Amino acid sequence: MKWLKIGKIFDPTHHLLSNNCKEFAQSPQVLLFNDFVRVYFSTRERDSMGKYLSHIAYADFDKQFSKVIDIANKPIMKLGNLGCYDEHGIFPLNVLRAKGKLFGYIGGWNRRISVSVDGSIGVALSEDNGLTYRRLGDGPVITSSLNEPFLVGDPFVQCYENIFHMWYIFGTTWKRFSAEAPPDRVYKIGHAISRDGIVWEKNKDGRQIVSNSLGEDESQALPTVIKIGNRYHMFFCYRQSFDFRKNKNRGYRIGYVFSDDLQNWIRDDANVGIDVSQGEWDSDMLCYPHVFEMDGEVCLMYNGNEFGRFGFGLAKLEK
Amino acid sequence: MFQWKKLGRVFNPLEVKNKSWLKEFAQAPATLIFDDFVRVYFSCRPSRDSNGQYVSYTAFVDLDRNNLLNIIQFSESPILQLGNLGAFDEFGTYPTSVIRAGKDVLAYYGGWTRCESVPYNVVIGLAKSTDDGVTFNKMGSGPVISYSLDEPMTVSGPKIRRFNDQWYLWYVSGNKWKMVDGRPESIFKIRMAKSEDGIHWAKENRNLIENVLEEDECQASPDVLLYQNKYHMFFSYKHSSNFRNTSRGYRIGYAYSTNMTNWVRDDSKAGIEISSGDAWDSQSIAYPHVFELEGNVYMMYLGNEVGRYGFGLAVLEKYEN
Repeated sequence: MKWLKIGKIFDPTHHLLSNNCKEFAQSPQVLLFNDFVRVYFSTRERDSMGKYLSHIAYADFDKQFSKVIDIANKPIMKLGNLGCYDEHGIFPLNVLRAKGKLFGYIGGWNRRISVSVDGSIGVALSEDNGLTYRRLGDGPVITSSLNEPFLVGDPFVQCYENIFHMWYIFGTTWKRFSAEAPPDRVYKIGHAISRDGIVWEKNKDGRQIVSNSLGEDESQALPTVIKIGNRYHMFFCYRQSFDFRKNKNRGYRIGYVFSDDLQNWIRDDANVGIDVSQGEWDSDMLCYPHVFEMDGEVCLMYNGNEFGRFGFGLAKLEK
Repeated sequence: MFQWKKLGRVFNPLEVKNKSWLKEFAQAPATLIFDDFVRVYFSCRPSRDSNGQYVSYTAFVDLDRNNLLNIIQFSESPILQLGNLGAFDEFGTYPTSVIRAGKDVLAYYGGWTRCESVPYNVVIGLAKSTDDGVTFNKMGSGPVISYSLDEPMTVSGPKIRRFNDQWYLWYVSGNKWKMVDGRPESIFKIRMAKSEDGIHWAKENRNLIENVLEEDECQASPDVLLYQNKYHMFFSYKHSSNFRNTSRGYRIGYAYSTNMTNWVRDDSKAGIEISSGDAWDSQSIAYPHVFELEGNVYMMYLGNEVGRYGFGLAVLEKYEN
């Protein structure tokens, strides 16, 4: 693979966002229309305690991504109810048109005491072309299980040959890597399938489908998959599990695996074809990739430094 | 119509000495029957921690089969460890329900975590014993029954049964947290799931038992007995608010079914009430557990303050269909 970086295309600090959000446009997720592109992203509000709440917003672009032609001026969906899996944040909202419906898969976050958060995946439907989404229930559709104990999140769904496939992450460990630091988490990528997009079955509980390249404590996040020809290509981000926020050598990079059968994935980061750019908005970190095809071109959106505090960018596949 | 005769309190946790993990409470009794004793699992708590919060453990007492009010042995230690950092059962294992599976014993238990906006959340774990129920190892670090689309929280109170090689799990699921005087109170209803192997479960996804007190009635501890060709469920229920130490606290309710699908509630047939005066069970009775032993049907249950003062025993005196 070889990607041509187009550059940063959206900066949240240049726009007036709903829910009193000022910074962060994380995990861009695309919904294509005939004459424009809607990009959902997670942005953040500070609550009364000074902690972040992640909300979903969108920006509509022209198909050349040369300008923002509209922006969500009201909430797409409220955060979850008191005590629910998505009470304190939605990150990401992965959207998919399939079988006559517009699905929104919710990566929901809720706060814990001994560790910072937990997460599960829920589902919502939109009946107004993606302006708003309504949950099918207060609870999740994919969550913890015997061998996936916590932190189920980062849904990405595609429908191939009438079967829904979800790639997502599950936590394996909460670990205190140093005495002073709060606990950090380790998570891996899993796979589930469904006939209707609502009732899911894990493709083996606890099966990690992407091998580690940084060892057991590698965290792998936000898988995104595209089929080109007969081959499935997955991009994701990966990092060390501690000292990854400020240390650019331990932070997120984009990784790559491919598969011909949706079962076995071969890791090949050397061929991912995209890396950090010195002196740029993405000089220290690359994360939260989203791959899609539009008008014959394969495109990749992603976040750069500080996990997307100042927006997301675009790259196009050269070869 | 059932008519129960109370035989007295089996066990008062406040009388136990020298067990730091068993200071207060003996909740949710669940029996496992042996040739010469009856093992009763229950959940108990050490003293509150430095933040004023409890954790809960599951332990057991062995009762003389010929005199169930006679304790012949205590467990040396809790049967299960609390979960690791961040796990669903990091702060408690309560309640626990046990069943034999071949030579093994399986335990289904509510695992407790602590949350920021609400006090806790619960999902159900599974552990296996290969030493006749003295110690258990978890079958995974996560839950066997977790949240789902219309079971968003407080998935707890498992009661495991097997009838005709079909596994049944009765349990409760929260449907919301209700703010009462600035404090979130969990609202939960009785649910059921079925399994072929005890590990993979299919939820029924509906409330089994109609409400009698209010829409937000809380229902707990659904324990089912097959007796005289009918399935009998005893459970406890209470109001959603101002239920602590008042007449709005737990009472024992009853429903029956012939097909496991339709349950007919008729609390007037439960046949057991609170005691009068200042008895240990004079304010509330909760968490019924029913079992048969040598032709008799027994019920164990909690008294005041949901087991703070232990659990008692009643025997079925009379049953009229």
